[in-house]
Amino acid sequence: MAQRALTKVLPLRTAVSTSAGLASAAVNFLATVDVAMYVGGRSAWLAILVAGALIVLTASNFSELNGLFPSAAAIRVWTRRGLNDRLSLAASLVYATTVVFVIAADAFVLAHVFQAAIPAVPGILWVVVILGVTALFNLRGVRVAGLVQDTNAFVLLGTLSVISIMVIANGPAMPVASLFHLGPRWIQGVALGVFIFVGFEWVSPLAEEFQDARAIPRGMYMALGLIAMAFGLFALAVADVFPNPTSLASSLVPQLVVGQRALGPWGFWWMAGVTLTTAMTTFNGGLVSASRFVYALARERSLPRSWARLNARLVPARALLGLTALALVLALMVYATKQYTLLIDAGAGVESLMYALTTILIIQLRRREPNRPRPYRAFGYPVLPVVVGLVFVGLATGALTTPTTPAGTPWALIFVLGLTAAATIYVMFGLPRKRRASKRPTRSLGKVDKSPKA
Amino acid sequence: MMLGDVLQEFVERCNANPRLTAMNRDWTRDVAILATDTGEIFWIQSAEGQLSAGAGAKSGADLEIRADGDVLAAIFSGQMAPTEPYNQGDLLVHGSQDDLLRLDVITLMIWGE
Repeated sequence: MAQRALTKVLPLRTAVSTSAGLASAAVNFLATVDVAMYVGGRSAWLAILVAGALIVLTASNFSELNGLFPSAAAIRVWTRRGLNDRLSLAASLVYATTVVFVIAADAFVLAHVFQAAIPAVPGILWVVVILGVTALFNLRGVRVAGLVQDTNAFVLLGTLSVISIMVIANGPAMPVASLFHLGPRWIQGVALGVFIFVGFEWVSPLAEEFQDARAIPRGMYMALGLIAMAFGLFALAVADVFPNPTSLASSLVPQLVVGQRALGPWGFWWMAGVTLTTAMTTFNGGLVSASRFVYALARERSLPRSWARLNARLVPARALLGLTALALVLALMVYATKQYTLLIDAGAGVESLMYALTTILIIQLRRREPNRPRPYRAFGYPVLPVVVGLVFVGLATGALTTPTTPAGTPWALIFVLGLTAAATIYVMFGLPRKRRASKRPTRSLGKVDKSPKA
Repeated sequence: MMLGDVLQEFVERCNANPRLTAMNRDWTRDVAILATDTGEIFWIQSAEGQLSAGAGAKSGADLEIRADGDVLAAIFSGQMAPTEPYNQGDLLVHGSQDDLLRLDVITLMIWGE
C-alpha cells in the first residue's frame, strides 16, 4: 500500500536539530573534560572522534529499526517484536531512566555555572527554579517553541566550534605527537566519549512525523558529524587552556573558562547563556518524551493506571510530576556529593548496552520478519553490526567499571545493576499480579481528571 | 460488524459526548484509516467539535493510521486500547504525535471508566 501525502510533515532540518539537540546536553562539557583526563589531555579529540565513528555504525542499526517500525514507541516496539514483552519492558524502563540521568547531570552543570556567574545565589536554587518552571510550563501545555528547540542545537554547536577555534588559534602550538598520544586508559576515554553522543537516537520517536523515511538516518548522521566536530574542537581548546590534565579535575565550568579565554567577559556570559538554554531544552525535551513514554506504558497496563491520568490540557500530569521529582532528587544528591561522574558513567554504560542490543534486534527481526519492507538496511550486515555490538559491550563494561570514588568503587555499575534488578523484579513478579488485578469485563485503562478546556 | 459500521458508531458516540465535543471544538483534522490486510480505506473528519466518517480516500490527511482490519475494528469499537497494538508494532501511524494522543484520549473518554 503506497504512502499517502500528509498535510503537515517535519523537514530534514528538524531531524538534524532534534538529534543534535537531544545529544547536546550541558553535561557534555564535563564529559569532554572527563575524556581528556582519562586519555591524558591532548588526544581527547581523537577519543571523541573514535567514539563518534562507532556511534555512526550504531546509527545505521537504529536506521534499519526505524524504517522497519517507525513508531514513537520506538525501543518498546523493536524489542517486543525482536525479543519478547518482558525483556522489552525491562529494557525500556532502564533505557527511559537515562533521560532522568541526563536531566540530573545537566542540573549539576547548571548549578555550577550560575554559582560561578552569580556567587551570591546558591546554584542549586537556580536548578529548583528552572526545573520547576519547565515542569509548570509543560503542565500548562505550553511547549518550548519548535524554533527555539531547533535553533538552540545549532547555536550551541556553532558557538562551541567558533570559540574553540579562537582559543586554539591564539594558543601555543601543540606538539603533533601529543595530539595522538594514547595513554593506558585511552579505551576508557573512548567509552566515556560515547556519552557525548548519547541521545542522538532519541529523534527516532519522531519517525511518524516525517514524510521521507530517509530523513531520520540522514538527520542522525549529520548531527553526529556536527557533534563530533564541535566537541572535538572543544577538547582541543580545553587541552590548550588546561595544559596539565590533573588540573582539569577542579574545573566544573570548563566552557566558561574557554569562553573567557576566547572573548573575555563576553565569552564567559555568552557560554553561561548557552549553557542555560541547553539545560532548559534538555529539561524540556527529556520531560516531554519521558512523560509520554510513561503514559503509553500506563495505558497498556504495564505501569500503574494513575500514571496515565491526563490533566485538563491533555498532559500526563502525574507522570510529568513524578519524573520531575525524581530528576530533582537525583540532582540534589549529585549536587551534594559532586558525584556527577556516576551519572556520566552510568549513562554511557546503559546507552552502550542499548547500542549493542540494536545488533541483536536487527538480526532477530531479519529472521522473524524477513519480508517486512526495510527502507534502510544496516551497513555490512551481519559482520559489521556484530563487531559493533561486541565493541559496545566492551565499552559498556569500561564505562560501568570505571571507579567513581578515590576508593576505587565502581558505583556506576552498582547503580545500573540495582536499577536493572528493580526493573526485572517488577516485570517478572509485580506486573503479572498487577495485570491480573486490573482485568475487568470492560476496558478501564486510564482517567481524565476533568473536562478538557476548549 | 464491518469496519465502516464500527467507525460510524464511533463517530456517533463521540458526537453524543458533550465533553468530547467541547474538547474537539478547535481540533480540525482529517484522519485516513487504512486496513492493511483488506486494502480498505476510510476517513474520519473532525471539525468544530463534530466527527464524521466515510469510506474511500480523501485528498490530503493530517494523520494516517494503518493496521489489519480486525485491529482497527477492535480499537474503534472499544475492545482494545490503541496503545496496545501501537506498542506492539501492529498499529502504525503517520502524522503528529499530538493528534495521535488526541485520538487515544477520545477512545479513552468514550469507553474509559
